[in-house]
Amino acid sequence: MIEQATIEGIIRILFVCIIITAAYIISTRNLLSVVSVYSLQSLTLIGIALALWSLEGSIVLLEIAVVTFVSKVIIIPYFIATIQEKIRIKRDIEFHFLSPTTSLILSMALMLVIYMALGRIIPGRDSLFFFGAVLGISLMLMGMMVTFSRKRTITKVLGFLSMENGVLLFGMFVTELPFIIEFLIIIDLIILVILTTILSVGIDSTLEDYHKRLHRFHLLDEPEEVP
Amino acid sequence: MILIAFVMVSVISLIIIAATHNHRQMNTVCILQALIYAVLATWIALFEQVPVVSFLVGSQYFFIDHLGLFEVLIATVIFTCAAIYARGYVEGLLESGELEKGSLKLFYMAWALLLLVIVLAFFSDNLALFWIFAELTTVISAMLIAILAARDNIDAAIKYIFIASVSMLFAFVGFIFLFETSRVRLGTGTLNWTVLMEHAATFPPGMMIASFVLVFIGFAAKSGIFPFHTWLPEAHAKAPSAVSAILSGVLLNVGIYGIIRVYALVHQTTALATIAPLLALFGLLTIGIAAFSMLPQKNLKKLVAFSSVENMGIILVGLAISTPVALFWVLFHIMAHSITKASLFFSSGILHRQYRSRFSSDAADDIRDVFRLQPLAAWGIIIGGLAIIGMPPFPIFFTEFFIMLQLGTVSLWAVGVMLVLLFIAAGGLGYFVLTNFTQVSEPDTPPDIEPYRTPASMKAPIIFLLALLLVIGIVFPAHGMEFLNQIVTELKF
Repeated sequence: MIEQATIEGIIRILFVCIIITAAYIISTRNLLSVVSVYSLQSLTLIGIALALWSLEGSIVLLEIAVVTFVSKVIIIPYFIATIQEKIRIKRDIEFHFLSPTTSLILSMALMLVIYMALGRIIPGRDSLFFFGAVLGISLMLMGMMVTFSRKRTITKVLGFLSMENGVLLFGMFVTELPFIIEFLIIIDLIILVILTTILSVGIDSTLEDYHKRLHRFHLLDEPEEVP
Repeated sequence: MILIAFVMVSVISLIIIAATHNHRQMNTVCILQALIYAVLATWIALFEQVPVVSFLVGSQYFFIDHLGLFEVLIATVIFTCAAIYARGYVEGLLESGELEKGSLKLFYMAWALLLLVIVLAFFSDNLALFWIFAELTTVISAMLIAILAARDNIDAAIKYIFIASVSMLFAFVGFIFLFETSRVRLGTGTLNWTVLMEHAATFPPGMMIASFVLVFIGFAAKSGIFPFHTWLPEAHAKAPSAVSAILSGVLLNVGIYGIIRVYALVHQTTALATIAPLLALFGLLTIGIAAFSMLPQKNLKKLVAFSSVENMGIILVGLAISTPVALFWVLFHIMAHSITKASLFFSSGILHRQYRSRFSSDAADDIRDVFRLQPLAAWGIIIGGLAIIGMPPFPIFFTEFFIMLQLGTVSLWAVGVMLVLLFIAAGGLGYFVLTNFTQVSEPDTPPDIEPYRTPASMKAPIIFLLALLLVIGIVFPAHGMEFLNQIVTELKF
């Protein structure tokens, strides 16, 4: 049997891995690698779930690990990668408001603020629950920055997914949450991802296609020629 | 058990819609579904002991209390009217090619599913379960917005999904905080609202403030409250009008309902002293932003959408007052707003069909000869407009009057600010009607606009809802009063 201190150490190392993946999602421009990093982030979460399970023995954590693996490591990344191939976008180089460097600096500042704010509310700064809360919420805010600073819908979706990973990370430290709810959240997530990516095909399709649509719905009326 | 009846009705509706190819049949199914729901909800209200015992509900995760039932009753009325309206409206969309025939099935299936999910949300005792259903309403309604497949619609739907869903994740973190708080206090954690209500008085205020603020971010976005309102005018203006009525009349209530539930918990703790001013501030800011956006507005549907934002602000201010009387009028306002707003969107839908070739959903409206071409819609806008700005004898007059009277006991300054903002919003609506509805073609020029033949199914809901508004304003039955008072008691105000 592994000692409790060792497992806690492992969890802390996995926390660092999560932060690295989040930083990568914020800064990278290559879409395919964003998807892979997202899978990696989900895999790290599964690692944390398993480590927590060996600490607490709650069966819900095992179930979460399985559902997360199926949905976030296999189904969702596969789906997004397929859609990406269809719309043939490989790089997302356009940013609104924030450049990757500013985002990174901002997220570091955010983490510090959250650490201090939660330190006041949650007793026991050394507890794993506290760290889970700080990192979970930081991951959410970093995901949110991705959602609002990227222009492509498909990258926005990945930002949202990363946010949801933050919620899951936080939620794992409250292990009594019924499994059925975690399960329903995943279902909701899958529907949302499918819908937004399908819509993004509409948005990110070629210009020619756009014009066809605009004409069809009278949204692009060209001025009539005056004889 | 009773919930199974609701689910079964929807399942049967979905099967029939999937099996048929006829628009009228699909539409009839949706009308029937909403009507059966209305009958079921009325039956519970009249013949069952509310709050309904959990055996009859069928699960410990669900419950039926007066507030949930009240919201469901409103939702079923609006859904029934909207489904009747959609009969003629969707036919028009099909004829003009704005809606593809292939999308019809998806449209009605999403419609039927949306009503079920909304009802389940209102009947959820478990807050996390409520969150999931609320989130599903966002996804399904976004589908209904994007169904027209024009780029504008897809844009609006995506904006709606991202703003609402991203914010709703914060709400979920708020619920986790709440769960942790209850775990520390009660030994076992719970998110069942009824249990939380019993013990809320013992919860530490710090955690309550944190969880309320997070929950508020989520549901404020869902109900279009400043600064998360930016998706609302786009989505409501671009959606098909039958859908806009549901978005405004029912879906905004889902967000406000979430805020009310958690606020009832906060209300029992000392955290109220921090939270109430916060709510009042956001309420007033929301009214302000909406009022100033309404003033220069040249697009009717956007104007009506901004008026929804304004009304959500009024509801928030009313909640912040935190007295039983104020809550009573807030609930009354929710009902009055839903009915009025649905009728306004129905009327604007007719005008949109009439003048659609002349304006896209973003451009300024060019409404001419409106009383000759569409007299009912024109009067619908005028009467509905009078109702929404709070003219007597319409119910919003009473709700705004009493909310402001209650606000006066807290701060006269706030009353002054609110009054000015309400006048500005009313001015915006009045100015639009005066400038647009008075445009008449020269008498000797041949009429260049063909009148749109409005089907009776599009007219009837407007007349019904306006008549209902008048009745509620003039003679609100004692049973209704008693019902609202029950909600106030159950929320422990």
